Order: sequence, then structure tokens, then C-alpha cells
Amino acid sequence: MTEERNQRIDSALSSIVEAILPVNPGEDDEIADERHEAALERARAIIKSHGQPSIVPDVQHISDMIKKRLVRDNKTPEPALKFSTLYTRLLNQRVLSQKWAILYLLHELSDSPKARPSTSAAGIRDDAFPEAGIVETRRIGSAGEHAFSEAFSYMGLHRLPGRDSGRGPGTGGLAGGDLGSQWNSFGQSKGDSAMKTKAELLAENYEDTEPTEQALLSSLPFTLLGLSSSHLPFTTSSVSAPPSGRDISTTQKYAISIPPTLPLPLVSLLHTLAEPSLLYRSLNEFVQSSSEGGTDGGLVGQSLKSAIGIELRGYINLVGGLENEIRRAVAAAETTIGVRTAGVTLKRCVVWTREATMGLRLMSLIVEQTSDKKGGQLISTIHSFASSHGDPFVHAFAERLLSHVTRPFYDMLRHWIYDGELTDPYLEFFVIEQPNLPDVGGNKGGASSVWEDKYTIHSPQVPTIMTESFAKKVFLIGKSLNFIRHGCSDSEWVESYSKSTSKELGYGDTARLEMSIDEAYKTTMARLIELMGSKFKLFDHLRALKKYLLLGQGDFIALLMEGLSASLERPANTLYRHNLTAQLEHAIRGSNAQFDSPDVLRRLDARMLELSHGEIGWDVFTLEYKIDAPVDVVVTPYGSRQYLKVFNFLWRVKRVEFALGSSWRRFMAGARGVLKAVEDLVGADWKKARCVVAEMVHFVNQLQYYILFEVIESSWDTLQTAISKPEATLDDLIEAHAKYLQHITHKGLLGSTSSRSSGKGKKAGTDGDDTFMTQLHEILKIMLAYKDAVDGLYGYSVAEYTRRQERGQRIETRTKKGEWGIREADEEGETAGRGSNPEDMMLPSLRQRLKTLSGDFQARVVVLLGDLAYQSDMDMRLLGVLLSFNEYYPVVNKRRARGERERRNTPRTQPGVKPKTRDGSTGESATGSGVQEGE
Amino acid sequence: MSTRPSKQAAAREVLDILHEISTLLNTHLDRTTLSLCVSLVENGVNPEALAAVIKELWRESGELRGGGEGGVE
Repeated sequence: MTEERNQRIDSALSSIVEAILPVNPGEDDEIADERHEAALERARAIIKSHGQPSIVPDVQHISDMIKKRLVRDNKTPEPALKFSTLYTRLLNQRVLSQKWAILYLLHELSDSPKARPSTSAAGIRDDAFPEAGIVETRRIGSAGEHAFSEAFSYMGLHRLPGRDSGRGPGTGGLAGGDLGSQWNSFGQSKGDSAMKTKAELLAENYEDTEPTEQALLSSLPFTLLGLSSSHLPFTTSSVSAPPSGRDISTTQKYAISIPPTLPLPLVSLLHTLAEPSLLYRSLNEFVQSSSEGGTDGGLVGQSLKSAIGIELRGYINLVGGLENEIRRAVAAAETTIGVRTAGVTLKRCVVWTREATMGLRLMSLIVEQTSDKKGGQLISTIHSFASSHGDPFVHAFAERLLSHVTRPFYDMLRHWIYDGELTDPYLEFFVIEQPNLPDVGGNKGGASSVWEDKYTIHSPQVPTIMTESFAKKVFLIGKSLNFIRHGCSDSEWVESYSKSTSKELGYGDTARLEMSIDEAYKTTMARLIELMGSKFKLFDHLRALKKYLLLGQGDFIALLMEGLSASLERPANTLYRHNLTAQLEHAIRGSNAQFDSPDVLRRLDARMLELSHGEIGWDVFTLEYKIDAPVDVVVTPYGSRQYLKVFNFLWRVKRVEFALGSSWRRFMAGARGVLKAVEDLVGADWKKARCVVAEMVHFVNQLQYYILFEVIESSWDTLQTAISKPEATLDDLIEAHAKYLQHITHKGLLGSTSSRSSGKGKKAGTDGDDTFMTQLHEILKIMLAYKDAVDGLYGYSVAEYTRRQERGQRIETRTKKGEWGIREADEEGETAGRGSNPEDMMLPSLRQRLKTLSGDFQARVVVLLGDLAYQSDMDMRLLGVLLSFNEYYPVVNKRRARGERERRNTPRTQPGVKPKTRDGSTGESATGSGVQEGE
Repeated sequence: MSTRPSKQAAAREVLDILHEISTLLNTHLDRTTLSLCVSLVENGVNPEALAAVIKELWRESGELRGGGEGGVE
């Protein structure tokens, strides 16, 4: 076989020699034959001496070299193009088995000096061996890695002045000098050793390692891609890996084993190079895991995987380019002394892969940090790299990642702000839907729970790419849309809206995003408010609430009170609801309330509070205004309770006013008749009683005025301005309404505590609880008791009057009969009876009662005024001023003297008694009440 | 699979292509030499060595033409 082959080679060689060597017609055959033989012999020797080819048998590489050469040698690109087509055609042929070899031959022979004089050696040298040392930056740049185009020094190396002469010895010798010796001493420097550069000296002293750097370089691309190669195999050690670990990238550790024969510097270089390969490998595992693991990181996590996958593809590209370079360099360097002169070394590879390593490092850092995060937090983590990292590389890299990673997030955002629907299968969005929400309207929470509780904002999930307020806006938009759709059953509008305005959102375009969100916000809010106002008549309901529950409709309330007063005096358990509703109907029909819309009146209802024994109708009666979804978003159940509370208080005040008024009427009427007759007996009492009742009437009137006008009306006004603002949102409405109620309850003295220290209250007040509410209730109770007492006094006066009448009649009849008008026995009986008769006992006890009650009343009012005077709220201080406009009630120490002059019942002050430990007002009110009791 | 004539045709085509390339590259090889080279290379001759041989032969023939002066070795 080899024999045959050699023979064939021989014959072919001889044919070639024959073909090339000219046959001189002048010479004789022998000489020609001899020359022929000699040439043939030499050719054989050359072929034998070469043995194995020095370049990598890669047809692609050689075609590249040829192409480049054609491009360089020709002005126009046509030859190169032509070559390309020829090359592809050649590749399609099956006949040739050694395509690379023949191509290489042609390449070697191209522009051969056949036609030129041999003296132009220098020029030929330049042309013929361009690849030997030059790695063109053009090629590298086209690989798309700007890392290469950085001003690395390797270009400079070739431009070293000594390099030109240095190239000669390696390759140029082919063309210049004696060929024979050159052929045999291939690679031996023929240059002057004195001219050697340091690089050359280094190169000469370079000792080959085992495996050679060249071999390492060839296997480097595989290593960089995380594949094992013969020199640098990977080992997998899953030492600390739990067997059930799902996340492969974290449980399995990779290691690269470096041949122990290498010198230390190379080992450290390889270590550096091993970093990207290890990182790449684990990242690749991470990316791959997405297809198996599936739902681990949610949508954002998946997009992160895909983004990293894209980056890894870029890395593979880089490694591909690197491989090209390495192969070219290795091929070129085969013919020269070593790899290092070819421009690609391990060190250079380290430099080239540095940026990529940083990218990989960053990615694996991101993967590590985000392994237990999802959704917004994941985005925040990456964004923190983009926003708060000084390194511009890291910044740019993270930004690039972000634009991929945020895509599912923005999809969710779009759904949310344009459709009002949450499409978040992995709970990644910062809005969370409450899973077990009771049916809308099913319980009394109703729509308010749809608005308040159905969705909540989960602030840790808000990615840092949007601000908190922005997120809140987004949340509101979606919530409103959802509410319009489900709470107000107006899904057509939502659909048409989403159709007309929906647009793509993406990362990086913050201004446009903000604009579109602002726009969506405005539209949605306007629509929601409009719905609330027109379809659900929110404002009408609010007005009705004020009219009926806050006693705004005076005639109605007066009528109702008149109608009900008789039945409400009775015990609560004798009341019947139908009576109440009948009275309500009557009151509505009899007042201007009848002109209100039937929808409003329908909701108005009279009912009784929970019955408890011993209470009378006044305590349990209440008006109710029914609110249903979706208006109860604004008028919450809590708000309704507040309304009821205010109503009950006002109703009580009204009742006291009504009671006092009716009694007053009676006294005044009686004063002209009955009372005049008994003036000698109870005149002084009546005078006192009238004064106190007048005081009380004043108190009640001022209180009512204050609450109805100063508090409710002004709060109403504030509410009106707040809700009629064009940019008001439903939340604004809710807030305004809550504030409105809070104002009323607080300023209306229904707040839970007076702001004064409780310690004082314990000392001054007779009861421990010192809230305005209880104070007022006590005062009102005293008023009613006083009114009862005065009624008793009236009864007594009337009884006395009738007794006198009888006595007068008796006297008259006796005188008519001619007897004495008054007998001894009568006188005695009267005087004696006065002591024992229960009727006669009544007057002193009545007097006593009236006196205590009025004293109590005044003491409490003083305490109340004292509290009011120290309120921070202007309006509440105003109430104090109103109640004591002429400073009738003593508030502070120095005014006490004047107050005493003006008041009949003023507690007498003890100037020296002012307690040292208490502040002025405290002492005053405390002593004031104390003195009264003693009187 | 391929019959003999078609193989020959293929060989010719290959030779055509190679010749064109060699013209492109300005190698001054004629068809005969080229086909000889192909057969040599296909038989496992190192192309580098072959190139060296051909260059040497050219040089020698050039010398012969130029009068045979300056002979090496």
C-alpha cells in the first residue's frame, strides 16, 4: 500500500519536475536527465524532511487566509467574491479528500516568484507571508466584541521597531538567502543576535511546558464554554449537595482541574480563565433549569432566565471569535518559533475575556441574590445594580438585563391599569388580591370591602423603578377600574376604555409611562366620580344624611318630635315599630321632606335600638338611613355608626330642648294665672326655677346652635368643596367624608376624650369618666331631672292653688251661712297637717331637689367650660364663649368675684383656699362645686 | 454509488475549480501541474513541502533560463 503510494508520488513528482524544468534544446539528454534526477532527488528530500504539516488541517481556516489575502492584494472585492463562490463549489465536491491541502498549496504558491526576478525578495517577503505574525484587528473588531477593539497592547507589539527584522528570521528566509540551508534549518534565526529585541530573547529562553501553551490554547475555547477537554477536564463534585435539591446551579459545584505539571504563572492564568468558564457553566444550568423547573421564579424569574440566556449567547459569540483567533494564531505559529509571537497567548485571552468575566460574575451575583425573590423584589434587586452602582459597565449591563426582565412586569401593569384585571399567576405584582373575599353584597361589608380589601398594595413588591406615589397611583387606577367593573357593574365602559387607550409599556421610557399612567388615572377617576354622582347619587345621599340624621331638616324633626314625644315617654318595651314608622310617615308628609326624592325617603327608617330593660322610648329610638352598595364605599358601616351616634346625641339635645320648651310654656302660662295666686308661698322658688330653666334653655340653644351651625354646616362646606374638586378621586371622597364625620364627632363633643389630663377630671368631676360626651349627657340628664322637679313644683303649686281655692270657697260658703270663715279647728288642722301631710312635706323636698339639681348643673357647666377653654380647637373654645358669653360662669380665678355678684346661685368663693398644687382652673371648678354642695 | 464516468466528470470539475482558484491566486500553475499536485496531495504529501519543491524547481528553471549562473549548492 505504502509502496504503491510512494511509487505514485514518485511518478507524479518526476512528471512535475519534467513539466517545470525546461528542456534546453542545446543540451544533451544526459545532462538533462542528470539535472532531472538531481532535482527529483532534492524534491524527495524536501518532502521527507517536512513530515507532518505544520498547520491545522482546517479547510475553513485556509480559505479565510486566502480570502484575506485576495482582499488585501486587490483593489476590488471581486476576486474575493469569486473565490468564495469557487470555494463553496469546491466544498460540495466529494472527490477530493484533502481539500485543505490543495488549497494550502495554492495559497503557498500564490504570487510565487516565477515570473519575477529573484532580486525582489524583500517585496515578496512582505506580500507572501502576511499571516505569520499579523493578527488583523479588522477581523477581531468584526467579531462584535468591543472588548477586542480596546486599545490593547498587542497591536503595539507588532509595531515594535525590532519586529520587522525579527520576522525575517522566522519566515522571510524562504525568499531571501540560500534556500537549501534555510529549508533544513527551519525556524532558526539567521538575524544578527545583537539586534534581538527583549521579546525575542524571552522567546529564545522560553521553555515549553507540558502540555504546551499551544495545546492549552486550543482547548481553551472548550473550557470557556464549560466543556471538558483533555488538558483541562471539569470535575463535578456534589459534596454538599442535598440529594433533593431542585436548583441544580446552587447544589452542584464545579471544579476545573489544572494539570499539575504547569509552572505557577500559567496555573494562575488558567485559574483566571477558569472563572468565566465555571460561571458560564453554572449560569447555563440556571438558564436550562427554567425549562424543567417551570414555575419557580414566576414570570419575572423566567424572563430573567431568558435575558441571561441572551447574554450567554453573546458570551458564546465572544468565545467563538476567540477560538477563531486562537486557531489562526496556532496555525500561523506552527511555522514559527512559538505561539507568543503569533499574538494570541493565554495572557491575552485573559485580557480579552475580562469584560465577559465581569458580565458573567455580575449575572451570577444577580442570580444568587434573586434566588429567593420574585416579581417586584427581583426587579428591585437588579435595578439596584443599575441605579446605585458606580461602575458604568455594571450600570449598562444591569439596564440591559432590566429591559428584558421587566417585560412581564409591564405586561401585568398594562393589564392592571387598562383593564383593571390582575393577571398575576405567581403573585409577583405589587397589588395583591385577597383570595377569600366574601360575595359582594353578601354581607354588610359589601362594596366597601371590594374597594378597601379586595386588593391591597404590597409595598415590598413595588419595584424601585417606580416611586411609591407612582405605585399608589397605579394601584388606585386598577382598583378603580375593577370597582367600576364589579362594584358599579359598568364593565362596558371599562372595556371600551381599555380598547381605546391600551398601549405597550416598556422599561426605560419613564416619562412616557408616567404620562400615560397620569392620563389613565385622570380618566378613571373622573369616570368613577361621575358614576358615583350620577348613577349612585352619592351626593344626594350625603345631603339626605345631613338633612335627616344631622337634623338639618328642622321642620321634619320638629314634627317628628311632637308626634313621637308622647309615645317615647313610655317604657321602651311598649313601643312598636309600626307606630314609629307611622309617625315617621306623618312627619315626612307634614314637612318639606315630602318633596325629597322617593329614593331618599325610601331609605329613611325609624327603628329602635337594642332593647334593654327600664329604658324609656327616648333612649332607644333612632332614625336610620339605609346605605347600600356601592355608596357604602364612601359612607362606610363605621361612618353610618358615626352618623347614628351624632343623631342620637342631637336627638337627645333636641328632646331636652323640646321638654324644656314645653315646660317653659306651661310655667309662663301658669304664671299669669295659677302661680300668681300662690306667689306668697312658692314665688321665690319659681323665680329661682325660672332663672335656672332659662340658664338651661340658653345652654341647650347654644349647644344646638354650635353643633348645627358651627360644626356641621362648616364641615359640610368643607366637604362640599373637597368633593366638588375636579381632580377628586374616590379615595379623596372617602377621606373627605371620613374627615367630615370626624370633625363633627370631635367638635360636636362626641370625641372619646376631652384633651385635658385625666387626672384633673378624676378630681373635679363627680364621675371618673371625663369625656365631653359623658359630661354633656350628665348635664342633659340633670336638665331633664330639673325639668321634672319643676314640673313637680308646678304640680304642687297647682295643688296649693286648688287647696286655696277650696278653702276660699269654704270660707265663702261658711260666711254665707253666717258662720266664721275660719275655724280654730281648721287652723290647727292645717298647721298640724303641714307637718305630717305628705303634700306639705313635698315643698321642702322639692326645694331641696331643685337646689341640688341647679347646683349640680352649674357645677358641671363650669367644669365643662373649664375643659372647653383649654381646647386647642378654636371652634370648641368658641362654644365655651357662647355658653358663657357674658362671663356668667366663672372660668378663671380673677373673674370669680364679678361672677359672684351677677349670680344668685354662684358658688361663693373662698379667696384664700386656692390649692397650691392645682392650676387655677382646676382649683376653681373644684372649689366651686364644693361650695355649692355646702350651701 | 457513483459510476466511473461521473467520477471523472467530478474530477474534471474539481480541477476546473482549482485551476480557477490558482489563476485567481496567480500561482502560474498550468492544468497538468495542478492535476499532478492534486494527486500528490491526495496521496498524503505535505502541501508545505510540495510548495517548497515547486518553488525550488521554478527557481532552478529560472536559473537555467537566465544562463545557469548563481547556482546554489
